[in-house]
Amino acid sequence: MDEATENGGGPSGALEPAAIVEAIRASSAAAALCCRSALSSRFPRADIAALVGASGAADLRLIEGRTETYYFSELSMTRAYAVHLFHVAEKDPLRMVAETVREESRLYPRPTDLRTFLDPPFGLTPSELAATVGALELQEEGRDIAQVRASNGALYLYCTSYLVPALALSLAEWIEVGQKDNP
Amino acid sequence: MAQIFGYSGKILRVDLTTGKISTDETLKYKDFIGGEGMSMKIMWDEVDPGTKAYDAENKIIFGTGPLCGTGVPCSGRTNITSLLPTSPFNGVSSSHMGGYFATELKYAGWDMIVVEGKAANPVWLRIEDEKVTIEDARWMWGKGIFDTQAMVASFMGKEAQAAAIGQAGENMVNLSVIRTGASHSAGGHGGVMGSKKLKAIGVRGTGSVKIAGDRKDWMELDKFMMSIIGANNQMVVPTTPQPWAEFSDKSSRWTARKGLFWGAANPPVETGECNPKDMQSVGLRTQKAIFDLGPGAEKYTVRMGGCSHCPIRCHSQLKVPQLEKYGMDPYVANTCVGWSGPRGVMFNGIKDFDGHGEDSNIVGNAIGTTLADDYGVWCNYAQIGRDLKYCWDKGVFKRVLPADEYASIPWEKLVKGDATFLIDFYDRVAFKKGEFSHIGDGSAAIALRWGLGDDYWNDKNGKLWTRGGYPVHHSNEAGAQVGALISCFSNRDAQNHSHMNFIGSKLPIKIQKEIAGEIFGSPDALDPPNDYKPMNTFKARFAAWALKRSILHNSLTVCNWMWPMSVSHDKERGYRGDTGLEAKFFSLATGIKMTEKELDEAAARCFTLFRAITVRQMGDADLRAGHDHMNKWITKADKDKEGKEIPQFTPGTIQMTEEDMALAQTMLYREFGWDEKTGAPTRASLEMYGLAGVAEDLARRKLLPS
Ligand code: SF4
Repeated sequence: MDEATENGGGPSGALEPAAIVEAIRASSAAAALCCRSALSSRFPRADIAALVGASGAADLRLIEGRTETYYFSELSMTRAYAVHLFHVAEKDPLRMVAETVREESRLYPRPTDLRTFLDPPFGLTPSELAATVGALELQEEGRDIAQVRASNGALYLYCTSYLVPALALSLAEWIEVGQKDNP
Repeated sequence: MAQIFGYSGKILRVDLTTGKISTDETLKYKDFIGGEGMSMKIMWDEVDPGTKAYDAENKIIFGTGPLCGTGVPCSGRTNITSLLPTSPFNGVSSSHMGGYFATELKYAGWDMIVVEGKAANPVWLRIEDEKVTIEDARWMWGKGIFDTQAMVASFMGKEAQAAAIGQAGENMVNLSVIRTGASHSAGGHGGVMGSKKLKAIGVRGTGSVKIAGDRKDWMELDKFMMSIIGANNQMVVPTTPQPWAEFSDKSSRWTARKGLFWGAANPPVETGECNPKDMQSVGLRTQKAIFDLGPGAEKYTVRMGGCSHCPIRCHSQLKVPQLEKYGMDPYVANTCVGWSGPRGVMFNGIKDFDGHGEDSNIVGNAIGTTLADDYGVWCNYAQIGRDLKYCWDKGVFKRVLPADEYASIPWEKLVKGDATFLIDFYDRVAFKKGEFSHIGDGSAAIALRWGLGDDYWNDKNGKLWTRGGYPVHHSNEAGAQVGALISCFSNRDAQNHSHMNFIGSKLPIKIQKEIAGEIFGSPDALDPPNDYKPMNTFKARFAAWALKRSILHNSLTVCNWMWPMSVSHDKERGYRGDTGLEAKFFSLATGIKMTEKELDEAAARCFTLFRAITVRQMGDADLRAGHDHMNKWITKADKDKEGKEIPQFTPGTIQMTEEDMALAQTMLYREFGWDEKTGAPTRASLEMYGLAGVAEDLARRKLLPS
């Protein structure tokens, strides 16, 4: 899904490539991805992919979506954040939730508080989130995603490839209850 | 006198029995760094074994260190060392407070204050640079700490800093504090001040602290430190995903984000996302009110406060107008257990009371904090609430309280979560009213008085760590054997964050393990959260390092709630911090060149001396059996839903085993060179640390391990 841009030499000094690079950097500085379609409408004659690739700007990165390409600059945005925005832009909450949960179970490791997805940058509504959780239980995308509930009722999701149920439960309990008892 | 750097060079000595005020030289104790280390040396030299906390012969030492007052980030801490009344053998112990007292003391030209004796009538100590007087405190006596501070300010001016006790300290309630500023409390030694009839110390300093090193080097180092410092507890990851951050963790103290405010400021101040590249926003990173009290606290937050020379500011300062209903000042401040300790007394939680609706929790917390801080009652790291619950659940109060006293306590408020219960509760404790007030004697004392046996000590919900009467504090629940070991040595809760400022950084485990490997020799020094493995030597090294760094920080004096800087938020540094920063600052400040290793060795000397004092006070070299022995709930296997035991070291259980912890202690003793069987310092280890005289003394008393 995501690849680094090629850092080739390009027509440095040409107006359009520089403007495209700046547009991507400006978007990232404003905490947004820059879509190829938006760049195309601003620079209708330009081959965006080719120009970005040839720009020599080592900070630029892209993420390929289903029908869209998203650019960002690592000068002001990390890949991790860009991936969150990418999921939001792709309007695929099922995949967004599943992949975020998988990543947190693998990386930290920890189960993911469901309420995370109500907040920025995810921004699901409570009903969207409920529908997503329901769908995860039924669909293939959620085959490795399980639920666990802390004793205060908070619902967490985790990926069974990285966390066993007892560990996921104890971590959720620690985050919700234990940690607050041990400040 | 030759110019002295870092240190002011002078120790103030006050004998309240004779009224004698004298000066001592700091540097004769320089092998013990400052603050806690030097205080341990003075306690060893001058307080005989068998002395009790409230005896005139006990001393109470207010200590700063060579970094205090220099501007090193987070260096405004005061270390207080004395015998501890809650310890069943009156063990020596240290408490700490922040605020501006320590820096003011340095600016007045003093590194430490050693108070001994006992005044005939209430007094307070007035320090204005060189001028030191013992003043009449008859009009302060009987007042709460807020009024006492106001009186000190009226005598000395608002620039003066005051450390004072409330009614709890005056009445020698074992669980009492010494407080400075609005919210900086040192728990445990308030009663010692009370026993000496010393109500307060006011200090005003107009001098400065001189630094030996080159100014440019100093500024460079300071700038570097500021480039790696995180949020409170050196958490280096924000709570919510941020464009600048690779990682996030909802339980981080780096709470800043767009749309989050100090809501009661005028006009409200937005924390913003606090990109670490913007050094000016460091003080906005930790919006601690919402961390400690929940999202409802945002609109009550006026600002964050803290200690001198601290860019982090972890004390929430709130305006809670509802407090006026109870005749209390609406301005209230605190941090961490300063909030949760009093809240813990309400063991059923704080529910909707007095029409406060969804803000009941904030109002209840504010009531509790105001009372505890004014009377000066210590929560023993929230143990007072757990003791209350145990005694309630087990019918102890019904058994030990006279019937009329029992009937006079508004239990129904406690049960239904009405926080006005706290008004009654703190009044009884601070003024020692009735049998119930003995809850303020501390856990070891109530166990004896009320006949609480094994069930009490081994109660998992009670969280008492040893029979010393103090609770868990960042122990196995977060730090596996490393945390468990750290909790075994103090004569009170460990108050050690050296390990937690690393383990709790919120970085992914892979990065943390790499860093652990670099500092402690193997990634195995650190286990993933709640997925513990049996003991190994690298964990022992980690625990020994954390113990050394804690006493080092309390000696320098810098904040152990931030230091050491073992990690950072800086991706370009691979999230590495710099564990050599203390030594670099120490060398530049004092002109005494010390490497990281040498400073750690000096800290090990201080810690070994503390250990030797404990041996001498207990009159028994077998500290493994008599002092370090953990209560059984820590090593008891959990059970699953079917009642089957879950073996330790299974993912998801944090329980330890007796055998493994015995091995852990052996390995830890070895790290310090102590006797592996008893955990007591040996002659060889004492001599290695330059403590031959201590070895001689212990040998004479037959307290060296054979
Ligand atoms: S982090 Fe908090 S306790 Fe530590 S120095 Fe700063 S304000 Fe004080």
